[in-house]
Amino acid sequence: MSIQVANVSKRFGTFEALHDVSLDIAPGELVALLGPSGSGKTTLLRVIAGLEVPDAGRILFDGDDTAGKRVQEREVGFVFQHYALFRHMTIFENVAFGLRVRPRTLRPSEPEITRRVLRLLKLVQLDWLADRYPHQLSGGQRQRIALARALAIEPKVLLLDEPFGALDAKVRKELRRWLRRLHDEIQLTSVFVTHDQEEALEVADRVVVVNHGRIEQVGTPEEVYDHPATPFVYEFLGNVNVIESEGGRDYVRPHEIEVTAGPESGSLAALVDHAIKIGPVVRLEVSRRDTGENLEVELPRDRFDRLGVETGTVVWLRPRRSRFFPQSASQEAKIA
Amino acid sequence: MATIASPAPLVRATARRKPVPWVPIALVGMALAYLSLFLFVPLFAVFFEALKKGWGVYVAAIREPDAWSAIKLTLLAATIAVPLNLVFGVAAAWAIAKFDFGGKSLLITLIDLPFSVSPVISGLIYVLMFGLQGWFGPWLAEHDLKVVFAVPGIVLATVFVTFPFVARELIPLMQAQGREEEEAAVLLGANAWHLLWRVTLPNVKWGLLYGVILCNARAMGEFGAVSVVSGHVRGYTNTLPLHIEILYNEYNFAAAFACASLLALLALVTLVLKSLVESRQAKESS
Repeated sequence: MSIQVANVSKRFGTFEALHDVSLDIAPGELVALLGPSGSGKTTLLRVIAGLEVPDAGRILFDGDDTAGKRVQEREVGFVFQHYALFRHMTIFENVAFGLRVRPRTLRPSEPEITRRVLRLLKLVQLDWLADRYPHQLSGGQRQRIALARALAIEPKVLLLDEPFGALDAKVRKELRRWLRRLHDEIQLTSVFVTHDQEEALEVADRVVVVNHGRIEQVGTPEEVYDHPATPFVYEFLGNVNVIESEGGRDYVRPHEIEVTAGPESGSLAALVDHAIKIGPVVRLEVSRRDTGENLEVELPRDRFDRLGVETGTVVWLRPRRSRFFPQSASQEAKIA
Repeated sequence: MATIASPAPLVRATARRKPVPWVPIALVGMALAYLSLFLFVPLFAVFFEALKKGWGVYVAAIREPDAWSAIKLTLLAATIAVPLNLVFGVAAAWAIAKFDFGGKSLLITLIDLPFSVSPVISGLIYVLMFGLQGWFGPWLAEHDLKVVFAVPGIVLATVFVTFPFVARELIPLMQAQGREEEEAAVLLGANAWHLLWRVTLPNVKWGLLYGVILCNARAMGEFGAVSVVSGHVRGYTNTLPLHIEILYNEYNFAAAFACASLLALLALVTLVLKSLVESRQAKESS
């Protein structure tokens, strides 16, 4: 099912959570809403789900306005950041809940419910936990149960709020790959909220960068990372050096700076303050000889070894790629 | 070896001279003395006085018609007040914890009102409203309805005094649990009925039971408010606490303590139930 967000605004008291947001999501797409905390991304997700009513604008599912529809009728699967599993029910009953509360005429028979719940528990690879209670499960297991529960009602749309936010780094990585594979398997239109750029870039088909209740940029992971539309997107997605220049600022990624031992045309001299080796990558913290400005440069370990530089050496830098934003645009980013 | 072994006697010496823990002993002693003076001795005295003249006198004092009618009236007041406040408490706590609306803090303050107002005042309110000279007095008299100095007044006063217990117990619990489980349930297709019976109430069942037990204990033990509206008509508008007072004022100590022992027993049963509920609650949340 396609989702269309049309000119949605939402305020909480004096706080403007969403400002005239419009977004189209194609059927079967996996979209990430990426932004810092307080950017409005979770509010947008909750508005799509029907948990919040927008002050203005509409949400359309397959072209139909959802305004008159009750939350119960929207057929939305929702996974909460802290899972929100029913604490007094077994895992089996948690997953069965959505089927059991259906009106009698639409409710599957008891054997059918059992069959479906077990199939879902197998899908999330946790069928052996059916008789446990939520508090007996690990965070990653709870997350997968929350997903199975959301899928039990055969939703048209799957919404996930910071699905990996409360998990440790290793489980997080495994789970997001698993989610990607699962999505490829079931082809359900899905939207997830995250503040982790790596997560968004790795998992999503398209990334929606949100800031201050507005959409900064929508695009594939490559588009938003390689061609950021605004200074905010540049700074939010990965590290960036901001270099003052006439009438504005130049934005340069640390790994897009060429480092040489001697001067070349268009290169600047800089002093190496620190060289930090992070596995296969070396991060140089340097200061420009002319202005004293601090910059960050990343280069592969073997390239670093061949250069033979160390703390206190002078190196020459030349941006392979940079993007210039005039004063007004970069001013906005500073306020952000 | 010698260097390793040498500290051993020293350790043993300090172990032997381990100081007597005076501070904990003193604190526990003080607490026990205090409890004995104000709780155990009076409790013992109640049962001792009640049974001093023998089992026969004790049973007779309770089976006496006025005492029996006081017991029945107390049970009646509690039977009406507790379910009413159970329903009201759940509704109020649900509204306050799970929804946002204007005047919420006013509602919370109002729920606490019976706690902050002296019970005598709560009784007087009903006299001023429903008494012969009260606001609705003439109208009630015209229709031959009695509220004050009759059973309805006693029930009203009991309901008023006991209404914060269930709500007060549930509000913090429900607020701590948040709204996410309810939101999840609604997204899965649950209606309000499902929410209440399958999600909200099962999550607070022990807190609810706890509130009901306290509410019941207070409903049966209430003196001040009930005393003002009762009029002390023997065999008709006397509850058990009021009956005890009358017996005591008539120097009928054995009977007074016999009835008092019933209330003391109720208190003990309440305490046992309360600690049972608390331990179950602790076990489930662990």
